[in-house]
Amino acid sequence: MELCSKEAVKYVWEGAIPLQIHLHESEVTTLPPPPPILVLGSRIGYLPLLVPLIKPHFSSTLPPGTDTVWFDYKGLPLKWYIPTGVLFDLLCAEPERPWNLTVHFRGHPGDVLTPCEGEDSVKWSYINSLKEAAYIINGNCKNVMNMSQADQLELWQSLVKGNMDGYLRISSRLKLGPLGEDCIVRSASSSAQPRQAIGEPDFTGSGRPCRIPVRLYVRNISEDLDDLEDAVPIDNWDRISYINRPVEIHKEEGHLSFKCAMKTLLPKIFFEEPLVDDHEFLREGETVGADSSYGDSETIGGSWNAQAEEIPFAGQPQVQLLKKSKIKMIRIQGIELDMDIPFFWVVNNLKNPEYFLHICVFIGTSTDQSTFR
Amino acid sequence: MAAESPISDRKVVVHLRATGDAPILKQTKFKIAGNDNFCKVIEFLRRQLRRDTLFVYVNSAFSPNPDELVIDLYNNFGFDGKLVVNYASSMAWG
Repeated sequence: MELCSKEAVKYVWEGAIPLQIHLHESEVTTLPPPPPILVLGSRIGYLPLLVPLIKPHFSSTLPPGTDTVWFDYKGLPLKWYIPTGVLFDLLCAEPERPWNLTVHFRGHPGDVLTPCEGEDSVKWSYINSLKEAAYIINGNCKNVMNMSQADQLELWQSLVKGNMDGYLRISSRLKLGPLGEDCIVRSASSSAQPRQAIGEPDFTGSGRPCRIPVRLYVRNISEDLDDLEDAVPIDNWDRISYINRPVEIHKEEGHLSFKCAMKTLLPKIFFEEPLVDDHEFLREGETVGADSSYGDSETIGGSWNAQAEEIPFAGQPQVQLLKKSKIKMIRIQGIELDMDIPFFWVVNNLKNPEYFLHICVFIGTSTDQSTFR
Repeated sequence: MAAESPISDRKVVVHLRATGDAPILKQTKFKIAGNDNFCKVIEFLRRQLRRDTLFVYVNSAFSPNPDELVIDLYNNFGFDGKLVVNYASSMAWG
């Protein structure tokens, strides 16, 4: 099967969420209040990048002062560094069209959300995610660090403008993909030959597994839910489990299905064993790493002491899955995936431009309160 | 790197290293709950160094998102039993 589909990548790049953006009522100073603005938010883009379109529409009604723009959906402040499409797939169990969001220019909730200071903040976040992905794939991010300033800027501008061809032209020099069935990164023109690359993949021809960057978002919904429209909306980011864990694939496993890859990420869910042993979560806190010389080292986070070590994680609700959890749905780029699709097809075609595959998993549980890691 | 699969209640050893002209801490190795976000490390550094502007990196390579869990960062990027975090007063690896 052809593992790379330019057509699929094009669909992803052209994907957009129809947004209806309302100004928060506390910031409306004119009568009648301004109507909401309708904007298309690119799936692979970020909400703050839409501000130049949104702000002029509302600027005449804003109270005087300086702006720090932020968005919320049903009261949940939106994390601006998560791509728009991922936010939509995750927070709208039943897709809402248009997606109604509220924009704020003041009153930024600094305690729950890091502020976005315009396009530069988003660019910084994007470049760092790209470096992180490169590091996961290659063991270093020299290829990104060695990019010229001009190339970095052009890469970013291509993303902002949705210019897929421009983006692919520059990003192909990073040699981060696409993946072939033997886990080797391929370029369009050559097969497994040594290449003059800016940063060469370490795993070519060696036994080292290849690692694929993944950002996994797990949301619990009621198991008995018939209609996704009735899913309880997320009111707090603590209700979503975010896991940053690469999929590791050994050369022999090149024909991995999407289901098998998901099993490595969420083994407890996929092996469908009921978690009857509550003590699994109540094990005494251990320190990772073999070095015992840190016996007296200070702990960041204040309240830790020898007794607290028995409390799994201070401040977090101690909740377990009370009975078997089932995957209700898995969404990537708005698509509910067939579990038998070759995983490499998914990675090559559905990943985001920063080389991360964002996966939204909806798990049906008997209690809405449970969180899972 | 941890040999077993991660359990969120583990502590992670973080090694804080100064870069450029950033002040060097007296104590550079700390334990932090794996379940904490990376922003806890950033805030800790800000308090210790009494600086608001800090650039914080992992393995002198990239700046993780403050939302990342320390245990994830350790599992993905840690070595020799610790997570190396570099800090600088100006952008070191732009």
